[in-house]
Amino acid sequence: MKKIFILAFATLTGYAQNPAPAKPQAKPIALMNGTIHVGNGQVIPNGVIIFDKGVITTVADATTARLNMDGMEVISVAGKHVYPGLISPASTVGLEEIGAVRATVDKQEVGVLNPNVRALVAYNTDSEIIPTIRNNGVLLTQAMPEGGTVSGSSSIMQADGWNWEDAVLKADDGLWLTWPGYFATVFDFTDFSRVIKKNEKREEAIAALRATFADAKAYASQTEQSPKNLKLEAMRGLFSGQQNLYVRADYAKDILEAAQFARAMGVQKVVIVGAEEADRVAGFLAEQKVPVILSALHRMPNRPDEAVDLPYRMPGILQKAGVLVSLSYAGEWWRTRNLPFQAGTAVGFGVTDREEALKMITSNTAQILGIADKVGTLEPGKHATLFVSVGDALDMRTNRVERVFFRAAPPTSTTVTSGCTSNIRISTVNE
Amino acid sequence: MIKPLLAGLLAVGLVQFAYAQTTFPKNGVYDERPGLYAFTNATIVIDPQTTLTNATLLVRNGRIDAVGQTVKLPAGTVVTDLKGKRIYPALIDIDSDYGMPEVKPERTSRQAPPQLESNKKGPYYWNQAVQPENDASQLFKADDKKADELRKMGFGSVLTYPHDGLARGVGVLVTLANDRENMLVLKPNATAHYSFSKGSSGQTVPSSMMGSVAVLRQAFYDADWYKRAGNKEQANLSLEALNRNQSLPAFFEANDKLGILRADKIGDEFGMQYVIRTSGDEYQRIDEVKATGASLIVPLNFPDAYDVEDAWDADNVTMAELKHWELAPTNAGKVAGAGIPFALTTAELKKKSDFWANLRKAIQYGLSEQKALEALTTVPARLLRADDQIGTLKAGKVANFIITSGNLFDADNVIFENWIQGKPYIVNPKDKADLRGKWRLSVAGMSPMALDVTGKSPEKTEYQLMADTTKIKPTVSVDGETISIRFQPGKSMPGTTRLTGYRKGATGYVGTGELPDGKTVSWSMDKAAVEPTPNATASTTMASGTATAGASSTAVGSLLYPFVGLGNAQKPQPQTMLIRNATVWTNEKDGILKAADVLVQNGKIAQVGTGLKAPSGATVIDGTGKHLTSGIIDEHSHIALLSVNEGSQSSTAEVRMADVVNSEDVNIYRQLAGGVTASQLLHGSANAIGGQSAMIKLKWGEAPAQLLIPNADGFIKFALGENVKQANWGDANRVRFPQTRMGVEQVYMDHFTRAKEYANGWATYNKLNSKEKANAVAPRRDIELDILAEILANKRFITCHSYVQSEINMLLHVADSLGFKVNTFTHILEGYKVADKMAKHGAGGSTFADWWAYKMEVHDAIPYNAALMNREGVTVSINSDDAEMARRLNQEAAKTVEYGGIPEEDAWKMVTLNPAKLLHLDNQMGSIRAGKDADLVLWNAHPLAIYARPEKTIIDGTVYFDLSAEDAKREAMQTERARLVQKMLAAKAGGSPTTKPAPKAPRMFHCEDLDEEF
Repeated sequence: MKKIFILAFATLTGYAQNPAPAKPQAKPIALMNGTIHVGNGQVIPNGVIIFDKGVITTVADATTARLNMDGMEVISVAGKHVYPGLISPASTVGLEEIGAVRATVDKQEVGVLNPNVRALVAYNTDSEIIPTIRNNGVLLTQAMPEGGTVSGSSSIMQADGWNWEDAVLKADDGLWLTWPGYFATVFDFTDFSRVIKKNEKREEAIAALRATFADAKAYASQTEQSPKNLKLEAMRGLFSGQQNLYVRADYAKDILEAAQFARAMGVQKVVIVGAEEADRVAGFLAEQKVPVILSALHRMPNRPDEAVDLPYRMPGILQKAGVLVSLSYAGEWWRTRNLPFQAGTAVGFGVTDREEALKMITSNTAQILGIADKVGTLEPGKHATLFVSVGDALDMRTNRVERVFFRAAPPTSTTVTSGCTSNIRISTVNE
Repeated sequence: MIKPLLAGLLAVGLVQFAYAQTTFPKNGVYDERPGLYAFTNATIVIDPQTTLTNATLLVRNGRIDAVGQTVKLPAGTVVTDLKGKRIYPALIDIDSDYGMPEVKPERTSRQAPPQLESNKKGPYYWNQAVQPENDASQLFKADDKKADELRKMGFGSVLTYPHDGLARGVGVLVTLANDRENMLVLKPNATAHYSFSKGSSGQTVPSSMMGSVAVLRQAFYDADWYKRAGNKEQANLSLEALNRNQSLPAFFEANDKLGILRADKIGDEFGMQYVIRTSGDEYQRIDEVKATGASLIVPLNFPDAYDVEDAWDADNVTMAELKHWELAPTNAGKVAGAGIPFALTTAELKKKSDFWANLRKAIQYGLSEQKALEALTTVPARLLRADDQIGTLKAGKVANFIITSGNLFDADNVIFENWIQGKPYIVNPKDKADLRGKWRLSVAGMSPMALDVTGKSPEKTEYQLMADTTKIKPTVSVDGETISIRFQPGKSMPGTTRLTGYRKGATGYVGTGELPDGKTVSWSMDKAAVEPTPNATASTTMASGTATAGASSTAVGSLLYPFVGLGNAQKPQPQTMLIRNATVWTNEKDGILKAADVLVQNGKIAQVGTGLKAPSGATVIDGTGKHLTSGIIDEHSHIALLSVNEGSQSSTAEVRMADVVNSEDVNIYRQLAGGVTASQLLHGSANAIGGQSAMIKLKWGEAPAQLLIPNADGFIKFALGENVKQANWGDANRVRFPQTRMGVEQVYMDHFTRAKEYANGWATYNKLNSKEKANAVAPRRDIELDILAEILANKRFITCHSYVQSEINMLLHVADSLGFKVNTFTHILEGYKVADKMAKHGAGGSTFADWWAYKMEVHDAIPYNAALMNREGVTVSINSDDAEMARRLNQEAAKTVEYGGIPEEDAWKMVTLNPAKLLHLDNQMGSIRAGKDADLVLWNAHPLAIYARPEKTIIDGTVYFDLSAEDAKREAMQTERARLVQKMLAAKAGGSPTTKPAPKAPRMFHCEDLDEEF
């Protein structure tokens, strides 16, 4: 008997296959009397949020607002919390399934210069990782290519959809550059050892990049080019400001150098990713308005003598310095469901309050990725990509996501649909 | 009449024996010299305690014949007057590879298939790194170029041996003379040598430090068996040699301070006291090193300064590196100060020529000259049991001595001659004219000039020429009786004037020279009439200069325990503490107590209650608004280890993680900051039967032995699945059995079947009475089967790395069929599928909260696993297996609340009481109850909240982490760093060589990490 029970339970909660996407929104939905975390720092303790055809129409204080609820599906979320969908930038969810099984990994192309490679087309909506992140409130990810110096372009994906076309929120939002730094880590797979060495090829690599960017800029100045160069073609958006340049750099000098390089080459929007030593250049980043996407806070200090909690304190340090900060679980696809807890950790270690930390996984990220017009906050006109949690979503004791809503429509489509996935979460073992 | 005749014959006989007895034919005419040399009027340092002035040393046929102030010189003696000079015994280098073949690693590519067996053909030991049969005297080939380098430094003899392998064979004591090898060997079979390094061997075993220890230990047990019985079964030249070498002084090369302790422990097991070659960092753990009772061989390798001119780059230099740079020169002095007998060696020096500069630095930093001399003469002679031949200048000893200008240790000392076996090797000409003073130089056709010669010694001089008021730098060479001077007179006479001449009388030189225009002129040079004392003035200035510089530069910073930046300046001490008014998570029947007090005394929890009185002297800690819990226990950890996997064979039950506990790992401190107080340090998962665990408490600052939990039950790591079958190790690794889960089962069946037979063999033997035992042969001691037999006897307990249900089921069946228990399945990500079977077997589960997807066998992992196993009655803990995650195991425990709705108290037990149970430590830790160890954490908030962090972490009543002291600690670090950085900048400005700083890749171990080659 016992055994049967366990299997049934396991099937219910751990069923590995990605469920079918949500159905379109049939009528307006009102979530009543919940605590609404707007995502911009604001909290409405007893609020109402209404959305129709996948778009938020009303966000108001339920104790004062007078609303006509006729024809709406009214759901009471009293005592519960409503959040904008959390956004996990710099992610390989959908591109990587089982780390050790090569056949399931599509995140890294061969070659050094691959601006024309697109993560979008490899994104697997049937990844079994996706339900796990959704269940903790992570509703958007940035599918990011890795490897080489210029890895390719990323796209912003909703964690719901039949295929990448209807899952995509913003296609090709930016290009990814791994900055040739002062030091290079050489990993030896045969003995699992890592050696950090001075990067002897740094200057050479930067010179090559400079040439490429100069060529790309010149190329971009003409609308039609013949012969057509796919690589340079793919870089046009950097100079028009349509695309971000995401630069991976951690060492403080590298951060400075990379940001200066991008500006000098005419790149309109540069974002530093990783930024593990951003505290040393916080003034520069704030003054130059260079935003950062931090690598996972759940990492070790980089140096043996560093304060043991420095990685945890990094968001707070940057916040206080006026840097626009986003948190990520960079590259660690299967840990992405822990993104809200990164924000929680940041609160425990110096970010001024929970709403500020929430911004780092919602509105700040949306702003950096260029999707703030659609997602990142719970405001009228924005997508109804949101979730309801039984309690504080940043703390694992209370992060219990009961309902998830997506505005599920491909940007190219004129039909606006919306979906509702009611997440079956087991709140106690006795259920 | 008979007696005198007999005496006469004897005398003749002696004389005859004193002739060289050569067995070598000579092409040409024999040229054997009388070999009678006397050195008179010298200051003779006979040994470090005895110095004679105005004394004579008489050498006869390569040996010292007599030494003293009244030595009668036989007729036909070559006499050298050494007035003003000194004679010292020649130095001995006790750790050399002089004349040995180069050691090259056999295996250069890790891509090649593993070499499972020895490549050394012949009747030798199974492991190629054990080669006690190597005999340095057979390998020795004199190399005059290398000998000359050492001779110039004052060395007369060296102990040399092949530095290759764990058991390296026997060393030979040779002189550095230029002669046939036959004449150079002073003592063959002088020493036996051991190390932790497998050297050239390409065999997979050992692949880790603890593997090295195990191979050596087994070899010693095998040698014992061979002596008793094995020699009738097989011929084994290695074991024979190991036994033969037992009577020799045994030297062990340790790679660091912890290696010294490790080596000594092996010696203790086999009744050997090793002489231990250190790496120069033993000052960092000098008390523990002294306690070994070992004599040491100490190198003088000091690190270069770092180039810290760029402040950001400089942060890549760790505090430990900064401090070691400053303190390394104090090492020899610290060893001497601790009263540890030691010899010095040139080993480990990047350049041998650094020896004297570094030795003088060591003296400047606290090593006495007498100890230095002992460490290079009498001590090595004694350690080599060759004090009858070398080390002092007493009659009868080998005539190995050096002639110096003055005190050997003075910076301006000059070694003139190095005599080895009664033959001279000229290092510097000793009768060089002393030109120092003021001279008047007259060159025909030029106005007289003043030549000023200054310098610390006749050999190291500087020249200054004054023509009226013009200063000219001349080049002067003095060679025996002749002199040559070159200078450029100046604008009036462009070009170089060259003067050559010879000594005339005591105070003059004369000769001819050539002006720039080719004209020949005569010249002369005389000591100036008024003899100033440039010497005295110069040396006074110099001395005061040195003294001032010395006073500031030899001041050094304090030690840290352990020797890393975040180490303690003082070792923390236990306190009596009363924590008042806290929310106390007892993990006992009482559950969570609000506003409760906990009293800590003598390292234990003394009382739990309310309104407790603070004993006098107690520290009272206000716990208002805070939570007090027992310390977190990590069931699965790989921190504080020097290596993790001896993954070479399918079973390595013989290896012990306790051999590689690294007390200096900063992760100990980082985890204290996360509330961890105890950890099981597990072997990795590279093989089905791994090594024995080390149970530690995270007592930051203590040495490895003090970290180990006394009387803890012994545990061992087993592993199943992909790592064991090397599924993700690349195509080269398709050789070792097993390669499938089918094979894994058979590894267990095979090993436990053999272990049973082995245990039976011993049981039978042990039952014999003493008389029967005398006639019987004890079985061969097998340290691997010993451990497996312990498992069968329920005296050692298994923690088994496991993922999928098939393999878990398999091991449960194997265990049941062979009659042993699996104490804990660790990882156990599919435990939810077989939890009922686990519960029935009595196995616990130690799992991750939510890890998955990194490899195929974790694909079916679900975060509800802990809750589901718990529901079935399995004792469940949440572990880390990860140095980073262990810093927030409280959060991982909280995930069981999220996934599966575990009540908070039970969730908390999953990182405290439950792992204590799984490790059989719940009688002393895991809950807050009077009598248990005071391993406590004071949290600023609910311990399961994401916002919580430890404010104090206490182990055995000692505060090892204190958040409130962190700022002060950082400030002190910054100050000390700044001081050292300034000192390094000064060193660079002063011309010291520097290294560019680079970040270090921390080695953090997970189960599947393989080690670098040792």
